[in-house]
Amino acid sequence: MALQRRLKPAPVLVALAPALVVLPLGIVLLRDLHGGGVEQIGRFWLAALQPSLDPTLLKHQLAELQITALTALLAWSLSSLAGLLLGVLSSTTICSTLTGRRWPAVVLRRCLAPLRSIHELIWGLLLLQLFGLNGWVAVLAIVLPYSALLARVLADQLDQQELPALIALRCAGVPAVINLFTSLMPPVAAALRDHIGHRLDCALRSALLLGIFGLGGLGTELMLSLQSLRFRELWSGLWLMALLLALMNLVIRRLSARHGLLLLTLALPLVTLLWSHRLNHDLSLPRWIQGAPWPPWAQLRDGLTQAWVETPWLELVGRTLLITVLASGVAIGLPPLLRLIAPDDGPGRMLKAGWLLMRLLPPPLTALLLMLASKPTLAVAALALGLHHSGVMGLVLEDGLERVDGRHQQAMVALGAPRRSAWLFGVLTPASRRYLAYAAYRSDVILRDTAVVGLVGGAGLGWQLMEALSSFHWPQVGWLILVYAVLTLLGELASEQLQERA
Amino acid sequence: MAVLEFRRAGLTGRLQPLDLTIRLGETTVLLGRSGAGKSSLIGLCNGSLLPDEGSVLWQGHDLNRCRPAQRRQIGTLWQDLRLVEELTVLQNINTGALGRHSLLWGLRNLLQPLEPELGDVLLHQVGLSNGLRDQRVSGLSGGERQRVALARLLRQQPMLTLADEPLSALDPRLANDVLNLLLDQSSCVISLHRPDLMHRFQRVLGLRQGELVLDAAPSAITEATLAWLYSEG
Repeated sequence: MALQRRLKPAPVLVALAPALVVLPLGIVLLRDLHGGGVEQIGRFWLAALQPSLDPTLLKHQLAELQITALTALLAWSLSSLAGLLLGVLSSTTICSTLTGRRWPAVVLRRCLAPLRSIHELIWGLLLLQLFGLNGWVAVLAIVLPYSALLARVLADQLDQQELPALIALRCAGVPAVINLFTSLMPPVAAALRDHIGHRLDCALRSALLLGIFGLGGLGTELMLSLQSLRFRELWSGLWLMALLLALMNLVIRRLSARHGLLLLTLALPLVTLLWSHRLNHDLSLPRWIQGAPWPPWAQLRDGLTQAWVETPWLELVGRTLLITVLASGVAIGLPPLLRLIAPDDGPGRMLKAGWLLMRLLPPPLTALLLMLASKPTLAVAALALGLHHSGVMGLVLEDGLERVDGRHQQAMVALGAPRRSAWLFGVLTPASRRYLAYAAYRSDVILRDTAVVGLVGGAGLGWQLMEALSSFHWPQVGWLILVYAVLTLLGELASEQLQERA
Repeated sequence: MAVLEFRRAGLTGRLQPLDLTIRLGETTVLLGRSGAGKSSLIGLCNGSLLPDEGSVLWQGHDLNRCRPAQRRQIGTLWQDLRLVEELTVLQNINTGALGRHSLLWGLRNLLQPLEPELGDVLLHQVGLSNGLRDQRVSGLSGGERQRVALARLLRQQPMLTLADEPLSALDPRLANDVLNLLLDQSSCVISLHRPDLMHRFQRVLGLRQGELVLDAAPSAITEATLAWLYSEG
């Protein structure tokens, strides 16, 4: 107890300490490094400054980019509409106001949990097996987890609201439905608009990621460019994607001001269907692929038992968790560490540009890039995932630092503190609690994303899932998805508790 | 004519069972020390609190089983106002009329505040400038918010008006204006910390330690009675 009382690190140290994982990761990477690969990585970064401007290539990439955008927009619109409906239905406050019972909302919430716990990439690969290559596969792969996620966010927001206005209007004889719209919806509207807007950015990245795994669009092109080491072509595509992301963020910001976002989500399904027709992109109704008949129960039971016994669960789960811990360490610890090394505004702006680049690069591409110079190891998978998420965390940190009152740092300087110490105590310390609260949520996302790098990096449950899918080992696929879902839900629970503490 | 009746209605630990009749056209003031049970009595009157024993009847019907159309005849000016912070002044005022209109009207009010002319009349009535009409209530001062809540109450046009400490945060002149508006309503029950104002009401109810100990006309109440009502122990 005495020891526990003494070891109570300040939040700012908790934010910096995870960067220690960079050391073991660096050692492993240096051990496996080979010279030829380092040269390729150098070429890759140089190509960022000299992307290919070949008109034929750009025209082709623009067409593929449209497919990515179309997939993302359609998925975003459908998941927003479905998420809003499911969120209202799974709010215990709304349910108890309308029906006098909480349990239907609780049951619905539990049913939605597995949908959001499975990564869109896994949904994509599963749906691909069931329906074959069809535009709807990528759309549905995004819609399923995103609607469940939005539903949870909305239900949580609604249930966290103070209820005085609701009670006041109920006592004034206002009917339940309009009372809910009037007293509960306006307080959650701003947060909801922000979340829905942010989801469009996520949907674009997901659509790109699904493309990398063969579901069409720009992602597929980027993967082909990387595999043939055509880095300048790769960067043309990446810069186009960056432009699209910036454009979409601008549109969302403009539309968020009034009710434009709602109108956009309502109009998009029709617009995208017409657009797909123009692009010759197949959005016809997907048809179930007729496979082998459903096996008898005894055979199925034996298959499931055998798959459970033959899978090395401890090792797979352990490796997945290790990737999560290492990647979280990089993602959370690297931004404040680098900022501490360069606390001035000039280098800060350069770092911000670096975070934007990291966020732009999908983790599988980073993993493949690292594998040009190293062996496929757990460290590569963790670093690729960690670097991508450090881009996100770096931007969150910069946003937090901008909000800090400059007088704290001035006070530290007046006290005679050195430049870095003044920044650490006067700027990073006040910003660290909010940063850590977001970091807890990000670790939860990283756990979900281990599926993505696992598929590439040859480690953990993600890798095993890819193997099982390729060999049509359905009992094992079933178990792996179940274990992934349970792990993600446990991670979600843990991150919620961490966020409450932060 | 009796509109609200308490039949041995009480709240465990807060309000002892009591019998009480509130009549149409009657103005009633509720006096007592802090924690005497005034807010609990108001809560039972508007149905936000359910009696642990006995019952509260509105026009002969159990208040908690009344339909919204019946409940909208009781209006409350809450101590904590209970405005929808994210909505504008006019949208908040219009929430007073939600009980009389369709769902579509309510949704339209959320998209674009409706009936601004009526809103302006009410704002003028409560002494607010119509320049505030489109401002969010979260940005208003305490006194302005109080008057928006009052305007909402006027928009509701209730048969019985309840008010819980409506003058506590107001300067004397504003308090007088607000009290005049409340007393203009057909029937009202108002809890106050101002015994000096009791002569403006027709009836005085006194609560002491959760028990209704006084029910009389103001003229029948002596200084000694008031001193006892506000004494400790």
